[in-house]
Amino acid sequence: MLIFTLRRLNLFIFTIFLLTVLSFSLAFLFPGDALVNISGQVSANQEVLAELAQSYGKDQSIFNQYVIYVGKVFSGDFGVSMISDLPLLDVISTLLPATVELSLVALLIAMVLGIPIGFIAAIRHRKNSDNIILSIAMIGYSVPVFWVGLMAIQLFSIELSMFPSAGQISPVYEIERQYGILLIDILLSDSNYKWQAFSDATSHLILPAAVIALAPATIFIRLARTAMLEVLETPYIRAAKAKGLSFAQVVYSHAIRNALIMIVRHIGLQFANLITIAMITEVIFSWPGIGRWLIESIYQRDYTAIQIGLLVLSSFIFIVHILSDFLYAALNPLARGKKYGS
Amino acid sequence: MARDKIYLEEEFPSPIVQFWLEFRKLSIVNVAFVSFLVLVFIAIFSPILAPYSPTDSHIDSLLMPPSWNNEGSVSFLLGTDQLGRDILSRLLHGTSLTFGLSFVVVVISLVVGVVIGSFSALTKGVKSSVLNHLLDVVLSIPSLLLAIIIVAILGPGIENTIWAIVMVLIPQFVHVTRNAIKEEYKKDYVLASKLDGANNFRILTYSIFPNILEKIVTQATFAQSAAIIDIAALGFLGLGAPIPMPEWGAMLSDGIDLFYIAPWTIYFPGMAIFIAVLITNLVGEGIRHSIKEVKEN
Repeated sequence: MLIFTLRRLNLFIFTIFLLTVLSFSLAFLFPGDALVNISGQVSANQEVLAELAQSYGKDQSIFNQYVIYVGKVFSGDFGVSMISDLPLLDVISTLLPATVELSLVALLIAMVLGIPIGFIAAIRHRKNSDNIILSIAMIGYSVPVFWVGLMAIQLFSIELSMFPSAGQISPVYEIERQYGILLIDILLSDSNYKWQAFSDATSHLILPAAVIALAPATIFIRLARTAMLEVLETPYIRAAKAKGLSFAQVVYSHAIRNALIMIVRHIGLQFANLITIAMITEVIFSWPGIGRWLIESIYQRDYTAIQIGLLVLSSFIFIVHILSDFLYAALNPLARGKKYGS
Repeated sequence: MARDKIYLEEEFPSPIVQFWLEFRKLSIVNVAFVSFLVLVFIAIFSPILAPYSPTDSHIDSLLMPPSWNNEGSVSFLLGTDQLGRDILSRLLHGTSLTFGLSFVVVVISLVVGVVIGSFSALTKGVKSSVLNHLLDVVLSIPSLLLAIIIVAILGPGIENTIWAIVMVLIPQFVHVTRNAIKEEYKKDYVLASKLDGANNFRILTYSIFPNILEKIVTQATFAQSAAIIDIAALGFLGLGAPIPMPEWGAMLSDGIDLFYIAPWTIYFPGMAIFIAVLITNLVGEGIRHSIKEVKEN
């Protein structure tokens, strides 16, 4: 486990290094003055600019500038937005939790729906139900998310008026911010209309989360199906059958656990995929998250916002990736060190 | 009666023929393959096939519903948009943009990726380890996000979109080629030709490439379905093709404002993207399935 941790840590440091280098070099790649791009001070006068140049170490070598930049990023000084002039740290810390909330709920929906369906497909391998599930998975995998989002709004918000079509919560509810994750904040608040607010926020959340979950759910179906098929071929399943266990017993007590481990391995990669889908869905559902903000920053050419937004978003994806790797290693002893005897 | 063959000879089809026979067995894959060819045909001949120009506006028939609707007209089969442009013509022209460009993108990134992948498979030590780490990092970022990043650097536009997606797809091809070559390199027949005195280049072209071709083709179909989605998504977000262009994603975002009065401006472009991606995925699945069957027999 120690070697595994060290290897992951190594990869983590290397990645963070690469991401900060990318983010740092973006300031030079974007049009305009690198100092303005990195700090976001568009309308600064000569004195302020000189001060900024001093603080970013513009008179030193490029390597020192990079070190200063990394120091600033890790101490939370992200600069200010070129458009709104707000400190980017504040902006991101209000937006990121909304994205985290949306994507985690979507991941949960995708897993809860996808994995059992995939198992059913594997158990009924090459029968009609397997074929139907596979075809549906193929269709769900091929549908472009922005189209589904619009269709969902048309059907559920406009024709059936079951769910609201935009935003995170109705503005009539005033919720005190604590952690930023709205559902938790509502539960912790001492408002009189707590449960009304909660149900309102949930109904805002369901539609975008379901739209995001569609494609990952179909991938989970396929992953779960492949994993289950592989497990059912293994010698220990044959041994369990030879012991005289019924098929249901074999599946419940042996196959499902081992198949789940194989799926956990892919969660990190799927989460990265899910975040991208979430970015587009946030635009369609006007969800106040980091994805929509980032895409708007690209329209507005807010270079400071783009470089910090990308850094934060990709670090977030990578941290989840590493965490899921650890979860996998913790669950599966084989992943920690199979060097011996193989 | 003359007989061509006196001896009963057992014939073994070559691997590629075996693959083709297996591929033809699945009816749904056949349908998908034919539709794929039809899409390629439309992409090439769209200017001849389309009844109108994609930018011509017919002022007297704005927002005409599709022809099966009571208010529709046969001369505009799928209706018109808010500027009176024929949706069918726009979709046909869009095929060469969304589908055709994704094909071009895949071909470019395949060539570059396979070349880099072959070189990197033959290097060892620190260089290869650094490359491996780099690939790990790049591959862990989803393709669309990476494309958005690159477009943010290059600036919006259809050309930049293409370069962005090419750059995003190259690491995937490098990864697949590199792993396939490394795996193949350990096998005995490569050792045999090495003992015969073949140099690395000859081993690659004569021994290894014919055997990893199918893996690369499978990756190419996945890459193409990703490329279609990415081009359309960037067009939809307004970062790709500009609005007047009949790119399917841009058409979708153009229709959003009128979604509630004229839903057909959204239905058809979305349908087109969906069908193109579905067909590509089905062909890819078919290829993968046939390779598996051929290997197992």
